[in-house]
Amino acid sequence: MWRGPDLARQPAVVPSGLAALDAVLPGGGWPRGALVEVLQQSPGRHVWQLLLPALGRIMQDEAGPVVLVAPPWHPFGPGLAAQGLRTERLLCLQAEPRAARLWATEQALRCAQVAAVLAWLPQVRNEELRRLHLAAQQQERLLFVFRDAKDRRQPSPATLRLLLEGIDSIELNVLKRRGPPLVRPVQLPATSRRLAALLAARHSLRAPSRPPLSAAPLEESHGLDRTAAIP
Amino acid sequence: MDWIALRPSLEQEREAWGWRALQYTPRVAQAEEALVLEVSASLRLWGGRRRLLERLFGQPQPLAAAQWAQGPTSLQALALLRLQPAGRPATDDLPLQVLSAASEHLPVLERIGCRTWGDARRLPRAGLARRFAGLVQALECAYGEQPEIHAWLQLPQAFDLRLELPALATQASELMWTAQRLLSQLQVWLQARQRGVLALELEWTLDLRRLNGMELPAHERLEVRTAQPTQDMAHLRRLLGEQLARASLAAPANYLRLRSLDTVPWAGASGSLLPQDDAPGEALHQLIERLSVRLGAGNVVVPQAHADHRPERMQSWHPARDAAGLLATARAGRRAGPLPCDALYPQWLLPQPLRLDVRAEKPQFQGPLRLLAGPQRIETGWWDDGARGPAVRDYFVARSEQAGLLWIYRERPAQDSAQVRWYLHGLYA
Repeated sequence: MWRGPDLARQPAVVPSGLAALDAVLPGGGWPRGALVEVLQQSPGRHVWQLLLPALGRIMQDEAGPVVLVAPPWHPFGPGLAAQGLRTERLLCLQAEPRAARLWATEQALRCAQVAAVLAWLPQVRNEELRRLHLAAQQQERLLFVFRDAKDRRQPSPATLRLLLEGIDSIELNVLKRRGPPLVRPVQLPATSRRLAALLAARHSLRAPSRPPLSAAPLEESHGLDRTAAIP
Repeated sequence: MDWIALRPSLEQEREAWGWRALQYTPRVAQAEEALVLEVSASLRLWGGRRRLLERLFGQPQPLAAAQWAQGPTSLQALALLRLQPAGRPATDDLPLQVLSAASEHLPVLERIGCRTWGDARRLPRAGLARRFAGLVQALECAYGEQPEIHAWLQLPQAFDLRLELPALATQASELMWTAQRLLSQLQVWLQARQRGVLALELEWTLDLRRLNGMELPAHERLEVRTAQPTQDMAHLRRLLGEQLARASLAAPANYLRLRSLDTVPWAGASGSLLPQDDAPGEALHQLIERLSVRLGAGNVVVPQAHADHRPERMQSWHPARDAAGLLATARAGRRAGPLPCDALYPQWLLPQPLRLDVRAEKPQFQGPLRLLAGPQRIETGWWDDGARGPAVRDYFVARSEQAGLLWIYRERPAQDSAQVRWYLHGLYA
């Protein structure tokens, strides 16, 4: 339920850096001081593509680290740094029990110097999410919680709920937002611009004549044939 | 002369009250059950007697409350303190019971009808001095006619205090209550010495020498360290609480001792005029220390980049506790531009490469993989005589119907294609 004063106040936002997404998010960006819930089937997929521009921007503006609570894999520094993230300011927390993850997330939110918190909480209850939401609200933090897509029917205190789908391109369903519901999913590119350019170049190179590259002809691969040499 | 006599409500906190009083005047002495302090020299510094008393006894303060009284000499102040519930009579009407020097002669004095200080002073001085050793001198000191001699208190160089537990503690968490009392006394000591603490040691004495036929050590210890010097006990209390929650006692403990291992001069907490600098919440190093204690230092990590061609060696993870200074000093802003080829690296890296099945000469991961780009050849690490040998790999970008874009490699010295080994190493996100 939205009350009038909630909607009347212009929320503080961090631009997401993706024009198509900014157009559908209330206020034109990721809300600060509110829980943003991202539902997806396989944890970790498309996450950086979605969040990197905003995180890079907030790292420019603020001094503190970005805290990752229980990420599914290790974030790979060189790959992230290439897209403008200052990887030396990532703080990773590995916590296995559910209670420890929640505790760590809340503690990170209550710290004065943390820029943003990304938490992977596969099993989390509504009241626990509310607690995190209030902590984020108190400190005006950027908080993203990643959950399983199966939980989309469960109630949630998040002001923004997104369902992340798609393989070759991101299909982003906005399940809940302040304002009218969104009918059609937002389409976003799933790969960085350079990788997309490389794949397109490869595709056009290969499409007319050659068969798809298979694993068998090992002898054909050569040291000079490096991806880095291709624009 | 202006004297204050104070009596702490808890006997164990007498020493700490002495340290606290030393902040306000250098002349503090033990006088039997109480402390006496001479404040005439420092009244002006603290803005008058009322202000000084407000600062000394006002709330909030770390120690339990104390009773106090003031008078022109230390003996008068002490006598008034002992008489406290009865009010404040004139000096001549003070009973002799409250003068320590008269205590052994009280029955005789009572029988000759001498009950108050005034009565004793009206007796002939020579006879009084002959019969009651010390009484005349004490009275003259009390009336300010002779100088008083005190052994002034001095602040110890290091904090080291031992308290008996109210009951035998069988679990580490039961030590917390007494530890808090010790911490508040530590705070007083730090404030008096103008120092901030970096490392503490909590030591408990075990009540048993042997348990189940095993020799036990006399003491067990716990060390608490913090990255930045502090006088704020709330953070240390939480750190100690986390550590005690994980510690276990080998046997019931009866004594607790707190020592300061490392202190540095205290520069004071710096504030800011700008409202946005005073964000509510705890500092980053406090967060990292608490997380490291609860989750384990190896689970609170920051990446560090290395110049290497092997992806698994391009970055290493270090405990954030050791790098807390780096994180805290990192300023906002943009870093130097990255290498262009880095853009082709994935965003997630598997901690260990995952061996992939090969079916029909195609690597499989949740279905067959289609190679989109590559190979990117890596041939390095021959100088590392590890178990894995040199890294000779061809990296490919592959696409899976189920899992999206993957970063896989094949190990290259393969004679025939049946034995080609494929590994999954990263994921594009």
